[in-house]
Amino acid sequence: MLERQSMMLFKKLTARSSLLVVMMFGLFTVMATGIASAQDAASIPTDPAVVGAGKTLFDDNCAVCHKVHGQLLGPALKDLSKRRDVAWSKAFILNSQKVIQSGDADAVALYEEYGKLEMPAHDFSDDELNAILAYIKDESAKAPEVAQAEEAPAAEEAVQELAGIFDNKYMSIILAVNLLILVLILIVLGLTINVLTKYLNEKAELAEEDRELASQRFDFRAMLASKPVVFFVTLLFVTLVTKTVLDGLFSIGVQQGYAPTQPIAFSHEVHAGQYEIDCNYCHTGVTKSKNANIPSANICMNCHSTIKTDSEEVQKIFAAVENNQPIEWVRVHNLPDLAYFNHAQHVKVGGVECQTCHGEIQEMAVVKQHADLTMGWCVSCHRETKVNAEGNPYYDKLVEAHNKRSKEPLTVEDIGGLECSKCHY
Amino acid sequence: MNKSAYKILNTALVCALPVLMFSCRAKDNYQGLEFSPNMYHSVAYEPLKQITDKEAGMWVSNRADGKGEYYNSNEFNPHRMNMREPVAGTVSRNKDGFLPYRIKKDDWETAAKNLNPLPDNDAVLSEGEILYGKFCQPCHGLGDGQGPVGKVMMGVPAYNKGRLAKLSEGHIFHAITFGKGRMGAHGSQLNQKERWQIVRYVQALQQK
Repeated sequence: MLERQSMMLFKKLTARSSLLVVMMFGLFTVMATGIASAQDAASIPTDPAVVGAGKTLFDDNCAVCHKVHGQLLGPALKDLSKRRDVAWSKAFILNSQKVIQSGDADAVALYEEYGKLEMPAHDFSDDELNAILAYIKDESAKAPEVAQAEEAPAAEEAVQELAGIFDNKYMSIILAVNLLILVLILIVLGLTINVLTKYLNEKAELAEEDRELASQRFDFRAMLASKPVVFFVTLLFVTLVTKTVLDGLFSIGVQQGYAPTQPIAFSHEVHAGQYEIDCNYCHTGVTKSKNANIPSANICMNCHSTIKTDSEEVQKIFAAVENNQPIEWVRVHNLPDLAYFNHAQHVKVGGVECQTCHGEIQEMAVVKQHADLTMGWCVSCHRETKVNAEGNPYYDKLVEAHNKRSKEPLTVEDIGGLECSKCHY
Repeated sequence: MNKSAYKILNTALVCALPVLMFSCRAKDNYQGLEFSPNMYHSVAYEPLKQITDKEAGMWVSNRADGKGEYYNSNEFNPHRMNMREPVAGTVSRNKDGFLPYRIKKDDWETAAKNLNPLPDNDAVLSEGEILYGKFCQPCHGLGDGQGPVGKVMMGVPAYNKGRLAKLSEGHIFHAITFGKGRMGAHGSQLNQKERWQIVRYVQALQQK
């Protein structure tokens, strides 16, 4: 009786999971292992306490490479108990290499399928193994969790955008009301003048001079042609033209605002902003060398071997790696060759934040040159920046000598930050 | 030309000047007008400033090879790059006296026996903490595997639980160097001293 029931159960189960199983291992292997698994699947505990313990163990030890729903480094573990028998699963978890070396066909097939990636051996007791299997079985029955993490920022953005629109509307309402008040005042003034003129004109005993004054018409053309107006308009025009021309001349050789299109649409806003990856992670030279360095493709691959692999832009990195072809990024900050600048000196020793010169880089979807990188800009910073000499005996005598002749704190200027040959040689 | 024509021409010139000057500014893909370009572009090979256009700066060029003044690429290198990798087998000198790390990628057993050459003190630990924040925290968080990137990757393990809590310092060093599982290799971003400093901090997180 019991045997018949379990056979019925087995038939149902194989029917349900056959599609998945056919794809992964082929029908023959399923038939071989399935018979055993159906019989001993019942031996996996279903007690919630055990399942809970299993979840902790799974998260701590297995979740690195396995998910129940979906493939990670290793195969998806959904319905493991229906595919494999319990003893096999336990042996494989404890020491997968032993099972593979024993020549077990399934184990070898798995090993080959997943690129000969070794699953490390685990030191679990039988109870712990049961708990893990119980958790996998319990989780298999549930629907896969839908990741919601990515939707949250989008919703937040929408709220912020809405707030922005609201702010703008508020501003324009205030402006409109102000304008309306001004127009009303003008109308009232006009009406007052009108009434007064009428009143004066009706008075018979008005002197000739006064009558002329009262009936005087406003001559717009005469006003435009009057000397003071012509003078002020000309002055305004000349000043504006001169200012724009001078500003334009000063912008020659200054590339502030340059924001070239890059071969890959890399966004600092996403990487440095949203995911809080430190600048130094990719710009490896920033504390060690003159240049901050542009990361090579292998650094991109540290994350993108698993994240957003189907994105069109990320595919470009894959192509670069496969063809051993460097990605030709466009250099944004081009300091003239006549000036020397060293990143390590400023970032490591000086402790200057990246944003001081590069702007709010974590908010830039496309990198734009923030500072003008002119000599005046360098010099004014060198004049203002105080040297952090604390805990550095190198500066002890310098600080002492400086304090003797000055009450101001030691600045970069005082230690030679304005000497020509520091940057020009 | 009569007087009024001159007047119109003058006014037009004066009005056009600011517009012309404004167009010198850098914007989007336009780099802006250069001043004294001969002093802007390096004659020597610049590692991160490769100019592949042979015509670049032709108008100021007095080069003997007939190429543009700003052309800056090394034709003898692959992809005409100005940078090259060190010759295979060369050993870089460093002031800490570290010799190259020669344990093979798959040799976890030997790696696990490797010992941290740095002293066990607070200076090393705090250096390690800074480096950990820059290079590990995006994924590993504060040892719990819940960094902003780790949440997307999913399944980043916690240091203080299960198998990971017992890993030796040599094993951690090897994992940083060559990566493990879905973790990428970080040997190119961090030198040996920095990796050992991070190991110290990771060990502190294992105890948490």
